[in-house]
Amino acid sequence: MSALVEIRELVIAYDGAGATTRGLDSAELSVARGETLAIVGESGSGKTTIGMSIGRLLPPEARIESGTVTVDGVSVVDADSEALRQLRRDRLGFVFQNPMTALDPTMRIERQMVRAIGGKPSRDAIAALLRRAELDDPDRVMRSFPHELSGGMAQRVIIAMAIARSPKLIIADEPTASLDASIREKVMDTLGRLREENGASMVILSHDLRLISRHADRVAVMYGGRVVEIGECATVLERPAHPYTRALIAAAAGNEKPGQRLEPILGAPPVLRGPSRKCAYEPRCGLARAECANSRPEARLVAARTVCCHFAEEVAQAASDVGEARTE
Amino acid sequence: MSRTVVELQDIVVTYRAGFLGGEAFDAVRKVNLSISEGETLGLVGESGSGKTTLGRVCLGLLAPTQGVMRFAGAPFGTLRQRRGQLSVVLQHSEWALNPRLRCGASVEEPLIILGVKSDERKRRVAAIFDSVGLGDGYVDRYPGQLSGGQRQRVAIARALVTEPRFIVFDEAVSALDVSVQAQVLNLIMDLQHKYGFGALFISHDLAATRYVSHRIAVMYRGEIVEDAPSERFYETPDHPYSQMLMSSLA
Repeated sequence: MSALVEIRELVIAYDGAGATTRGLDSAELSVARGETLAIVGESGSGKTTIGMSIGRLLPPEARIESGTVTVDGVSVVDADSEALRQLRRDRLGFVFQNPMTALDPTMRIERQMVRAIGGKPSRDAIAALLRRAELDDPDRVMRSFPHELSGGMAQRVIIAMAIARSPKLIIADEPTASLDASIREKVMDTLGRLREENGASMVILSHDLRLISRHADRVAVMYGGRVVEIGECATVLERPAHPYTRALIAAAAGNEKPGQRLEPILGAPPVLRGPSRKCAYEPRCGLARAECANSRPEARLVAARTVCCHFAEEVAQAASDVGEARTE
Repeated sequence: MSRTVVELQDIVVTYRAGFLGGEAFDAVRKVNLSISEGETLGLVGESGSGKTTLGRVCLGLLAPTQGVMRFAGAPFGTLRQRRGQLSVVLQHSEWALNPRLRCGASVEEPLIILGVKSDERKRRVAAIFDSVGLGDGYVDRYPGQLSGGQRQRVAIARALVTEPRFIVFDEAVSALDVSVQAQVLNLIMDLQHKYGFGALFISHDLAATRYVSHRIAVMYRGEIVEDAPSERFYETPDHPYSQMLMSSLA
């Protein structure tokens, strides 16, 4: 079976005042049917750009320079506005970071649900949908304005809207970042369960590595507008083969022992003006050698994952040595 | 340990809806806490548990309905008397800094209010920018020209420039990226080592809190349900609610 989403050599540029910035630098990504894929990276790494390019939900200053995006057989880059509308309506569901800005503050939830479902759904149908998203009192929710709901409830309404038309792909951009730690897990569980019931795929954009390791099948790490490492969550997060992935894991609070110091990634992510002819991570990388500054690493298969690094074998080997030392 | 900076005794804060006799709600119930010099107390809990209310009490912005708040061993008095002795760093640095003032001017403001002389001010502003890891070039920039992490460093510089004895960090790293978060957490720890201020670190992120704090107080529905050294939060804490918070870190 072919992949649900195929992104090939995608280049997206942002036209700013006087200068053009590259958001994606020949990015490659595919999402299989029924899988949950997480995309991680720092701000500016291109994770939102690649996620939103699937529905071509990009700001007006973004320009697709080259490459292809195919979603369920539809070429998103060439689609006219009617085809795009159909694609977004019938096959994609979006869950955004902040439910309070995603909902219309002037409209009761019932009317917003009617619009999301389309046609003239009965009150019972709306209530059933809200109940599937684990809202216990759908009647009260339907009567409410967004400001009368808690953040968690509002996000559940957004989730109900996203699955209203049984989409084939749910795109969730930091779905729990604006929620409390105590309800994050529950909301993610709801999202995961509904995805499974629909047999849909899901793409989660996030920088919460712990959340991802529990809820995604595969993880794609983005840096400098490219996917620099992609593979099974357990493989990538436990034995990273790209120095950037390793640094990202080391910088996250929660894995350290008492008294141990976190190691932040020094420097700032690159701002690309054109195609990068070298490894974009080279200036910040502790392992960088002459080769890294001279040639662009291409994606290759190393230790059961795809990675863009000239020295991925060494990094993967070092990671598994550490892993073994820990288990001994 | 050294001297206590902030001491809370049986603090109760009641919010009332409406004028006389409206519905009353206890946001904070009988809380006892103390924070020493050079110590960071982490305060974790869900939204609505009273974390921010308690932070406001510690800053003297909110008078408790019942109970006593003592600052450096004496009654708090008025905010005017405490100028320069306490400070706060908030979550959204873009709102905390005046967008139309250059960063240097924002950081200098607290010193002007304290009546520090001009050349002394310039010297201290330059020194504090150096301490938070920003070079000279940033003094003349506007907040809008900085990244989130750099802006939060400026906000920390502004909080620290008067060398306060106590700082509240209210969700100070929650809006930052993982790697920038680590930089700012390390910065807070280094600066505390250097200046010796007491701190209250309010967050709903237990991972960041236990990293930066010496002790952690867990707040649930207005009460402190557990107050233990951070090391406990690398093992198994006592209260079921703390254990629930821990489970999201596994």
